[in-house]
Amino acid sequence: MTRHRGTLRGILGGVLLLTVWEAVARGFSLPAYTLPAVSDILAAAWQHRAVLAAAGWITAQEALAGYAIGTIVGIGLAGLLVVAPLLRGPVLPTAMAINSVPVVAWSPLVLLWLGVGMGSKIAMVALAVGFTVFLSALAGFDRVDRRSVDLMRSFGAGPAGVFWRLRLPAALPLIAAGMRVATVRSLIVAIVTEMLGAYGGLGWVIYQSVTLIDFVQVWSAILVASAISLAFFGLVGAIERRVIFWR
Amino acid sequence: MKASLRLAGGLLLAGLIWEGAVVVFGIRQSTLPRLTEVLAAIAATPGAYWSGFLRTAIETLIGFAAGTVVGVANGLIFFRAPILRDMLLPIFVVSQTIPVIAFGALVVMWFGNTLMAKAVIAFYLTFFPVTVNTLLGLHSVDPRQVALLRSFGATGRQILFRLQLPMALPQIFVALRLGASLSLVGAIVGEWFGDTTGIGVLLLQAMYNENVIAVWAAILCAAVLGTGFYALVALAERRIVFWGAEQ
Repeated sequence: MTRHRGTLRGILGGVLLLTVWEAVARGFSLPAYTLPAVSDILAAAWQHRAVLAAAGWITAQEALAGYAIGTIVGIGLAGLLVVAPLLRGPVLPTAMAINSVPVVAWSPLVLLWLGVGMGSKIAMVALAVGFTVFLSALAGFDRVDRRSVDLMRSFGAGPAGVFWRLRLPAALPLIAAGMRVATVRSLIVAIVTEMLGAYGGLGWVIYQSVTLIDFVQVWSAILVASAISLAFFGLVGAIERRVIFWR
Repeated sequence: MKASLRLAGGLLLAGLIWEGAVVVFGIRQSTLPRLTEVLAAIAATPGAYWSGFLRTAIETLIGFAAGTVVGVANGLIFFRAPILRDMLLPIFVVSQTIPVIAFGALVVMWFGNTLMAKAVIAFYLTFFPVTVNTLLGLHSVDPRQVALLRSFGATGRQILFRLQLPMALPQIFVALRLGASLSLVGAIVGEWFGDTTGIGVLLLQAMYNENVIAVWAAILCAAVLGTGFYALVALAERRIVFWGAEQ
């Protein structure tokens, strides 16, 4: 019952926010550079739907490709460090050094290396996602109780058996949490890198609209980006609930 | 003392490996310049790098400090007024999953190319996680402890400052550490929309000039600022949450 009421209030809050926004923008007839009305943003988004859909498709592709690469590399690297602990010495400090740089600061360098095309965005997303997943996967693998490992060993399980049967399932909740956070990050990084230089995509649209002082277009690009991000987040969350059914 | 010596040793070793790898493998300067070349570039115009470093640091710090204060206050308000929490928290959670950094473009348009614009971007990137985690921390307090204090005649204010806020601190610091990196990213990206000083500007100018050495010099500045800031927050955490379990 209380949960039901909470949802209702949440919807009420959202509706209220949009109403106040619309009323303030219309009532005070605020200029578009201060705050365009919600209805104007929606109308503009619909009017430019072809441009926005194309841009959104490019950004989504970059984010998805980078996300896939980053997840695989992140989990793989963490798994490798668990199976071969000797590698920790050189790999961990290198990873920390790369990670100590704010991720967007790599964007100009990656753009110089890989060019203005989609490759540079995919690489940036893979970098950002990879680190998030790597750190959470490593924490997950290390969380396993020493005694459980010993128990499986005593039953004659090899290192591979311990990894597949014990470490991976035990680490899954943490890996999934990292992957959920990484969804949002993948879109942000793709958009930010596009702002610096691109042939298309939402970040490019935002940057162009800022230089053209087209405020409504900036808002509608943000709207599309948010919709993609929410959908991606929801999708990964749904898969997580399926895979980690015991939580 | 011993730890700082080891840190210095590690940094020196990393520098030697960087320098040595470039020379040994004959890596082209356009891919990875030698560390000494990068340091020489900084030493050639120390003023530009220092003022950029300072400017970005101030933007980040102002935004971070304001975000912390408002975030904690907001968490307290949500804790005290469940109606507000139910109405606004879902919006907060949704806003966590959208690429907030895209709003950076709007903030720069609102405030112009001022220091304030970047501070505002850093502010809202810090403010959201701090609000959510403050609320989480306050809710994690055992109600029996509150009942105990109340039975001793403690006032609401005493319960808040003696029990609830201290108990919430570990959670708040998780958000602060996240905010430390996010606020720096926000400040750097904010500078891309046109400014004259700052690490973001240094990155952008170096990219447009295709000057890889200058890009690396700016990345180094960003790494020093990011690591230093993160270390400060972690140090504050260890001092303030002295009872917290070391990770």
